[in-house]
Amino acid sequence: MITSKRLRSIAINLLYAIVGAMMLLPIYYLIVTTFKTQTEATISPLGLPKHLTFDNYINAFNAMNYPRALLNNVLITGSAVIVLILISSMAAYVIARSKKKIYKWMFSIFMVGLIIPFQIAIIPLYKIISSMHLMNTLPGVILINVFCINLPLSIFLFRGFINTVPIELEEAAAIDGYGTFRTFWSIIFPLLKPIVSTVAILDALAVWNDFLTPLLFLQDPNKAVLLQEVYKNVGPFSTNWTAFFPMLVLATLPLVIFYLIMQKSIIDGVVAGAVKG
Amino acid sequence: MNAKKRDRVFLFMILPAFIGFVLLFILPTIMSFAYSVTNWSVYKPNYKFIGLDNYVQLFTDTKNIAAIKHSVTYALVITLVQNSLAICFAVLLTRKSIMANMVKSIFFLPAVLSVLVVGFLFQYIMTSADYGLLNSIIRFFGGSPVNWLGNEKIALYSVLSTQVWQWTGWSMVIYIANLKSIDSSLYEAAEIDGASKSQSFRHISLPLLYPAASFNILMSLIGGLKVFDAVFAMTKGGPGYASETIMTTLIREGFNSGRTAYASAFAVVFFVIVFVISKIITFLLNKWEEKIS
Repeated sequence: MITSKRLRSIAINLLYAIVGAMMLLPIYYLIVTTFKTQTEATISPLGLPKHLTFDNYINAFNAMNYPRALLNNVLITGSAVIVLILISSMAAYVIARSKKKIYKWMFSIFMVGLIIPFQIAIIPLYKIISSMHLMNTLPGVILINVFCINLPLSIFLFRGFINTVPIELEEAAAIDGYGTFRTFWSIIFPLLKPIVSTVAILDALAVWNDFLTPLLFLQDPNKAVLLQEVYKNVGPFSTNWTAFFPMLVLATLPLVIFYLIMQKSIIDGVVAGAVKG
Repeated sequence: MNAKKRDRVFLFMILPAFIGFVLLFILPTIMSFAYSVTNWSVYKPNYKFIGLDNYVQLFTDTKNIAAIKHSVTYALVITLVQNSLAICFAVLLTRKSIMANMVKSIFFLPAVLSVLVVGFLFQYIMTSADYGLLNSIIRFFGGSPVNWLGNEKIALYSVLSTQVWQWTGWSMVIYIANLKSIDSSLYEAAEIDGASKSQSFRHISLPLLYPAASFNILMSLIGGLKVFDAVFAMTKGGPGYASETIMTTLIREGFNSGRTAYASAFAVVFFVIVFVISKIITFLLNKWEEKIS
């Protein structure tokens, strides 16, 4: 009996190992190839590299203008996430707490954005962004990421969470002479920590990996983000894939590191986002 | 007096989000509808009303019909495949063990990579050139190589399979959380009644997975309908027009060819498709919810 149970557990672990290895194979292939010459990569695509040389990475780093592109990514993602948390938590608070019809109505307008992709508005959006003189600027991309892509879900998540916060706290604050604005920031907002982290994680992933917006709205090569640098180089490097692969690694490295450190919060955030939805 | 002040503060707190959303989402959406009945293009800045001509033209072009068909097929197939796989792996990985946790982390990893990067990587893996990894593996096992991205019958599905690889882990963690929330006494009771593992999965787990399933299904469906990055990176809509989708067509017509009004009409059609499909799905999901409660 014990041995059959043991056998079962070994079989299950073996299954895990095989499935896990198959999932990882493309990533393994990506990484080992970055250390190879083309001949070596053609002869043994999955073998370990014979030499550990970083020449491919150094060339990729230079071709991508890595520090500047990375900075652009950080600026866009950082600002978008901060703006999203500030404005969507306030909006959601009003929607959750006020009994006025107009706010329920505003909420249903926001929720249109959960189902309808902003891509259908993209041509007029181009015109609006141009007329605001935000074409080829980081604030233009930030605004689109905030309002067109991530705002509805953020408001939705904040509202769901605020509904679970007891209203007695606010009543007590009112007796102490706190104004509405001060009550929100000094009493309610600190209680929203779990949902702030969920929203921040989901929004950061979405903004960082967004390619369409910079592709269309950020055509100045000096303001390119990491994905645009990859895209720019895919043509010139098309026959030289061992030199191109390090760019794929460099473009995703920041998020992979973020994932490895924050793994549990990220997965919890994804789950929380779905359960509230 | 106090209530009035509170209302003023409330308005002030919601306005930044609302004004931005109306200006950058609602307004351009309405403008898309308005432009779709004009002949505006980069070459005709002084546009005029032309009625439904753009729509007539749009539906007489077989390439557009094909693009719509590709997007809808893509959305339906990826929803089905991704969710079935995610449920299988979720069941497999719900047990508490270090190994299961590790595999769970590995499964989720591709979801943090960008779609464009995954697309480029798989473009090289699936290439029919000598160094293509996938065909090398097939040859190693004695099979004959397949032209994954160059064969018009399978190009779209090759792109789709990479997205399944990328997003199954995302759906899976949501299913796992849902499975863990199911009361274990239900399984114990079923076991006492002599139910087999597969029976208790069918009659307990599957119906109670409704919350996760409704979310995941709607998300992969809408995500599938707007597929762009993956196709853009891997096939550029080719070979020929075999993997052209709604979004790749919209971007090509609107931005590369400068046919702005025509592309707006396409955007309106896209709106209708998303709206109708999500209505149908929510209707079906509600039916399911009624059935289990």
